[in-house]
Formats: sequence, structure tokens, C-alpha cells
Amino acid sequence: MAKTVVQEFTKGLWAEIPPFRLVLGLCPVLAVTKTVENGVGMGIATTFVLVCSNILISLLRNVIPKNVRIACFIVVIATFVIVVELVMQAFAYPLFLKLGIFIPLIVVNCIVLGRAEAFAAKNGVVSSFADGLGIGIGFTLSLTALSIFREVLGSGTFTIPISSVSVPVFGPSFQPFNFLVEAPGAFVCLGLMLCVMNMLGKK
Amino acid sequence: MREMIRLFLVIFLFSCVSGGLLAVVRSGTQERIEYQQLKFVKGPTIKEIMEGCSNDPLSDRFKIMDGDKEISFFVGEFDGKRSVVAFESFGKGFGGDIGVIIAVNLETDEIIGIGVTTHSETPGLGSRAKSEPDLSSQFKGLSIKDPFKVTADGGKIDSISGATITSRGVCGAVVTSASIYERLKNDILKKIKA
Amino acid sequence: MGDYILLAVSCIFVNNILLIQYLGNCPFLGVSKKMETATGMAMAVVFVLVLAGAITWVVNHLLLKPFGVEYLRTLAFILVIASLVQFVELFLKKSIPALYAGLGIFLPLITTNCAVMGVCLINIKEEYSFMQALIASLTYAIGFGLALILFAGVRERILLARVPKPLQDTSIGLVGAGMMSLAFFAFKGMV
Repeated sequence: MAKTVVQEFTKGLWAEIPPFRLVLGLCPVLAVTKTVENGVGMGIATTFVLVCSNILISLLRNVIPKNVRIACFIVVIATFVIVVELVMQAFAYPLFLKLGIFIPLIVVNCIVLGRAEAFAAKNGVVSSFADGLGIGIGFTLSLTALSIFREVLGSGTFTIPISSVSVPVFGPSFQPFNFLVEAPGAFVCLGLMLCVMNMLGKK
Repeated sequence: MREMIRLFLVIFLFSCVSGGLLAVVRSGTQERIEYQQLKFVKGPTIKEIMEGCSNDPLSDRFKIMDGDKEISFFVGEFDGKRSVVAFESFGKGFGGDIGVIIAVNLETDEIIGIGVTTHSETPGLGSRAKSEPDLSSQFKGLSIKDPFKVTADGGKIDSISGATITSRGVCGAVVTSASIYERLKNDILKKIKA
Repeated sequence: MGDYILLAVSCIFVNNILLIQYLGNCPFLGVSKKMETATGMAMAVVFVLVLAGAITWVVNHLLLKPFGVEYLRTLAFILVIASLVQFVELFLKKSIPALYAGLGIFLPLITTNCAVMGVCLINIKEEYSFMQALIASLTYAIGFGLALILFAGVRERILLARVPKPLQDTSIGLVGAGMMSLAFFAFKGMV
């Protein structure tokens, strides 16, 4: 094995951090980063699906016939997505309502299927787990960063995850920069962040 | 052909396993999901109209079949007695069905309060049935056996200005509730004692 | 009839699937570099989305609902879409090779296009009737195609401009998409 498990984990945090280095799974990135709470919630949900499906697919990689592997991957991923859906409804119902159709849409998030196909189907369980966790945490970090930027400037608040309390960041005279929380702002914001990441380089 | 069947079987097997797994998760979380949905959709209204009760009406609930429809009843405890039930019924509004929760005192048949849960009325007009207490507060203290009509129809409920149809819908929902209540009162009393 | 027209306008412009609802962005950025590929993708999406919208509606209302297993919706829908795409691919290859030559390479990509799955879910969430679901699917797909083709035009122009190095490619693409989204934003409140 050329790379160690630690390397598999850390590459997701910087060198291949989605969605900047790995330009995949943009839809949730744009759609749910209106508030910090939504962004973090979505990140955690995606990480869970990513880790679980990576582990299971890696375990089953020798059992699954080559020509129907995509269909099998989809079944595995969809199963975990429904688990997330049910658990979220049971324990975080308001968040479930806010994220809406983007929870079931994790199933078509290209990051999850991409990792299953490109990594888990070829590697052992431990490194697949590390890869899933690393990419998942990287994705969560990106979502968090983007949502902090958009929420703080766009609505002037900071929603603390889990408690869903919105704390105003600026004084009462602050005029929120509404553009950022709307759809066009999401695109521009992500584009500029991508530019900053390109400037910082890979190292 | 045999290859095709084999592939098909593999996917079939996968789906079966996943379906089974999900059924287990589902049955494990069902109770909680139901409770959460009540808490965040109907919960605020129920809490509001049952203000001052000493239990949690959301967890103290039971279901009764009314014909082929199932209705959930929420029990409120006042002064140590389980004397109030709340349940939802629907009336025809301007933009669709209006859901109204009504809380009734079982001993006196008096309405403790009503609240609008769901509606698709015009924002700023009919939607005031939910956001402002003018309409719903009129029902408070009336007997469930009263005929409920808006003044325009010869009744005594003042409708919201600009939203007669909505007000009529709310009255309609209360009338429906009254008939449900009359039909099921014995069952309700039995369930509460149990 | 008026309702359907209203729904169509809402789906194409006001709630444009790509620029307002943020669905289907991966193919949006992936295939919009050339007008040809953008047109091909747009056609493929219209084709598959209408079929998928109709079939998933039927699956949901005739299969999942009666048996009370609506929690399996995600799994059922993705399987329907995946097998539909496979089937369409096979069918086109055998019967209409000319069309297959145009759409073929885009079809496998559609399985993971969240616009397709997203519209199917929206149809259910908004409790559309079958006719409404059909029209919504068609017009959402048209909105997708419209945005994609317009954007491909913008991107072909960007190629000629001198863009700072870190801003190149996807980055400037996203900013451009933001500007287009701003234009579509003007339709807000129309319906």
C-alpha cells in the first residue's frame, strides 16, 4: 500500500477537499448554505452516508458483479440515505423540514457515488473508511465556511447548530447584504471561494 | 441469458436486504417521528389552546376510528382531572381546506379554545384567521352544541373583514368537530378512563 | 388550462430548476463549455425527465402509497430513474440510432443528475395531480435546457476573454452563473 491510512484521511481535508478540489456535489453546497445550521447539518448527514456506504461497498467489493456494480452502489447508498432521513425526522425534525428535498437528494450527490466507484470499490475497508471520513469532514468544513460567510453577511446572524438560535452578529443598524442569501449570491460566493482556493494552491 | 438472470438476482437480493433493514429502522423510529411531527406542526396550536394544563397533551393521546377515518385526540389535564380533549377537523376555506384544532371540556361540553393549524388562504386576508386571535377567541366559552354561523349567515360569529369565506370555513370546521364530538363522546370517555 | 400555463411559466422561469432551485449543477458546469454538448444534454434531460416524472408519480401513488411504504421513496425513485436511463439507452441504440448518436453519451450522466430526481420529488411534495406532474416535469426540463444553452453561449464568450488565472474555468463559470441567476431573479413574484 503506497499511502498510509492517515494520508487517505488528510487528503480529503485539503488536497482533494470537495467541492473545491473535487468539483462535485455542488447542488447541496449552493442550496443549503443559507444558514450555518443547515450547512453543518447537511455536511454531517452527507458524511454519515459517505462513511457507511464506503465501508459497506469496500466489504462487498469482491461479491458485487462488475457489470451491475453501479446499480448495487446506488441501492447501498439509497439505503443509508433513508436511514438518515428517518433518524433526522425522529431527532431533528425542524432541520429535516428546512433541508427538505436535499436530504433524499444525497443519493444523487456525485461525491458519494464518485467515492464508491473511484475508491471503495478498489481498496480495503480501513482505507475506505479513512477516505470516506476525510472527504466527508472536508465537505462539512467547506459547507460550514461557505454558510458562515453567507449567513453573517447576508442576514447578519449566526445560527448555532443544534440549538437553532440565531445570534445577531452586528449592531441593530446593520443592513443585511441580502444578495448573498439568495440564489445568485450562492453562485458568485462559491465561484469566488473557488478562486481563493486556486490562489492558495495545492500545498 | 443465464448471466442476465444472475445479475438480476444480485440486485434483487440487494434490494430485499436493504428493504428489510429499512423496515427495522422504520419501526424503531416511527413512534418518535410521529411525535416530532405533532410537536412541530400541531404542537404550538395545541399548547396555545390548552394553556395551563399540567400534562403534555402531545404524548397523552389516543386514536378513535370514526367510520373509516382515524382521528387523534389529545388529552389535557386541568386541576388534576383529565377533563379536556382536543382534536382536529377541517372546513372548506377560500384557498382549500382549513384545519382547526378544537379543545372541549368533557364535563360541561364547553369550548376551551380553537386554533387554526393549516390553511392556504390569501396572505394578509384569510391568513389572519391563524395569525390574529379575533376570530378564534369568539368561540371560547361557547357550548359545543351552539349553532356556529357567521353574522352574514344569521349567526353570531363576527367574521374577519375581507375574509368571510375563510371565517365561514372555520365555523364549518367547528360544526364538523361538534358532530364528531357528539358521535364519539362515549368512546372518548371510555378511552380517557382506561 | 390557465392553471397549467401558470404552472409552466412558474417552472420555466420563476422557479428555474438550475438557477433558482440550484438543482442539476454538476452537468450544468460540466457540459456547458461547448454549445453542442449543452444542446445534447438539454435534449437528453427533457427526454428522460418527462418519462421519469410520469413513472415516479405512478410508482408513488399506485405502489408506495397503497402499501404505506412511502419511506422507501428515495430508494424506489433512484432505482426507477437508473433503470429507466438504461432502458432508454438500449432502446435508442436499437431503434433510433440517429438520436442515440446525439444523446448517447449524456444518458449515463443523467442517473446522477439531481435535477431529475429533484423534480420527481418536488412533484410528490407539491401534491401535483398526474397531469400537473407531467407538465411540471416537461417545463422544468425545458427551463433546465434553456438555462444550460444560454449559459453555454455565455461560456463560449468567456473563453475569448482574458480571465485572471485563479479565476479560470469553473470559478468564472460559477460567477457567470450567478449573474444569469440574477437575471432570472427578475421573474420572482410574477406568478
